[in-house]
Amino acid sequence: MATQASTSIPRLRALKRPNAAVPIAVLLLGLILFWLGENLVRTPADFYQNFVYGATNGLLYGLIAIGYSLVYGILELINFAHGDVFMLGSMMATTFVGVTILGLTAGSAWYVLWPGIIAALLISMAFCGTLNASIERVAYRRLRTAPRLAPLITAIGMSFILQNVGLVWKGPRPISTVDILPHGAIFTIGGVAYTWSEFFVVAVTLPTLALLVWLVQRTRHGKAMRATAQDREAAAMMGIDVDRTISFTFLLAGALAGVAGTVFALYNTNTSFLTGFRTGLIAFTAAVLGGIGNLPGAVLGAMLIGLLEGFSDGLAWHALGSQWTEAVIFAILIIILVLRPEGLLGERTPEGG
Amino acid sequence: MSTAVATRTVLEVEGIDAFYGTIQALRGVSIEVHEGEVVTLIGANGAGKSSTLRAINGVLHPRRGKIRFEGEDITRADPHDIVKRGIAQSPEGRRLFPRMTVVENLEMGAFQRKDKAEIREDMDRVFELFPRLQERRDQKAGTMSGGEQQMCAIGRAMMARPKLLLLDEPSLGLAPIFVERIFEIVEQINKQGVSILLVEQNALMALDAADRGYVLETGRVVLADDAKALMGNEQVRKTYLGED
Repeated sequence: MATQASTSIPRLRALKRPNAAVPIAVLLLGLILFWLGENLVRTPADFYQNFVYGATNGLLYGLIAIGYSLVYGILELINFAHGDVFMLGSMMATTFVGVTILGLTAGSAWYVLWPGIIAALLISMAFCGTLNASIERVAYRRLRTAPRLAPLITAIGMSFILQNVGLVWKGPRPISTVDILPHGAIFTIGGVAYTWSEFFVVAVTLPTLALLVWLVQRTRHGKAMRATAQDREAAAMMGIDVDRTISFTFLLAGALAGVAGTVFALYNTNTSFLTGFRTGLIAFTAAVLGGIGNLPGAVLGAMLIGLLEGFSDGLAWHALGSQWTEAVIFAILIIILVLRPEGLLGERTPEGG
Repeated sequence: MSTAVATRTVLEVEGIDAFYGTIQALRGVSIEVHEGEVVTLIGANGAGKSSTLRAINGVLHPRRGKIRFEGEDITRADPHDIVKRGIAQSPEGRRLFPRMTVVENLEMGAFQRKDKAEIREDMDRVFELFPRLQERRDQKAGTMSGGEQQMCAIGRAMMARPKLLLLDEPSLGLAPIFVERIFEIVEQINKQGVSILLVEQNALMALDAADRGYVLETGRVVLADDAKALMGNEQVRKTYLGED
């Protein structure tokens, strides 16, 4: 009897809370849909352009957001240094494809260009993966049993250290990456071209995500990750090397940041030591929006935020304009944390179940 | 069941002290498990039964004392290494991976093994022992009933093909019909040559299934004897078998 009473109380609360939030959410959603629809009708070209721009950036944010979610899923730690790992990845890619090493240009022959881009991706992945795993080894491992605040502050500290590494390496001003992606149109909707450089982002991101899902769901290492995330001590009792599994998780998250960094540098053709801070925070917001620890949620949240950013930046009719975009994104973070802290798809299910 | 005088010693725990922070959980605990034996640890809540298993499993490193498995010192070994050597545990509270399926949980039990064909065979054997698990093979472990979860936890430990199986409270919170079934299975597993160290609150069932037993009180071994003798011991009858 006693146990029944105690379980029924939180259940009632759980029922009550969405009831208060639902009308507000419906109203907001309705307004947003109306605004989007009105824009689509009035200036379709603007709408398409910003849709493409937002979806492309959303995919990139997704790659980074997954890095936050993977690490959170296994350690319940927000790895604030993750965005800066991404930033260093973008610098690595810039250095590698540019005059410093490969000297690729838009005029390079395809059989030089594409192997060069693939090599840049792989090198950036290896670099960021190793960097991220080293950060865990040096800064977080010894704090694993410490109070939550200690590794969190350490993560913020690591973020500043990496930012300064970027600053020392490339200087305070944004650096440009050689523009080597082809800009020809693949197809045109409503007068707006969908270019090969935008397709490049999709062509790299989607297979990477598919590979990640396969890795987490089907492989031995992936299953060890999920088991460790669900019950670290039980995982150790089953013979899983927990330290190695956590290292592997950081390696994987870092490699994804490396992919994102390379794609970002090539697509945006510039980067700076501050890029990681801003992009990292946006990706983190995306991960929280989707449900931190939840991998499909991270991608969903990132797509929504990318689109929102695109529309808020560039739509013609009653858009807030780019000076308000970040305010809107972080207002969303606050609204989610208040109304639905577990995110759209729910918290902490790295396997997406 | 055998009297274990002549057989080989599989596990030797020698005077271990273990702590949680500053609280001492074990005070000079010494126990032995011989090949093919079922040994039980009985005692009240907080007597140190689970802590002893955790120390053997490498999750809780003792400050003093030695643990030897098949003659080799494993006192400071990592849990994954200890599993590899042949000790598997079905932990207290079952500790299944709730969002993994039954099959995936069983696979995790065999994590240290590389022999795929034999792993499949062992999984079939677990399904033979627990037909219920076969029916639920693709169900998330967290959604099953307590009894089914307990079967899964024991099955998962079996998947490591252990030489020594540690069972922590396998009957806790189960309906009587499941309790009996679980003890039948423990006997069956033992007959296949696996030594078993069994921790139980249900002292009567445990002593009935065991060859020998240790009684723990506040982190110390206070009694050690044949299971039959312990069942006849007046103090044990009073304290743990609920007789006046």
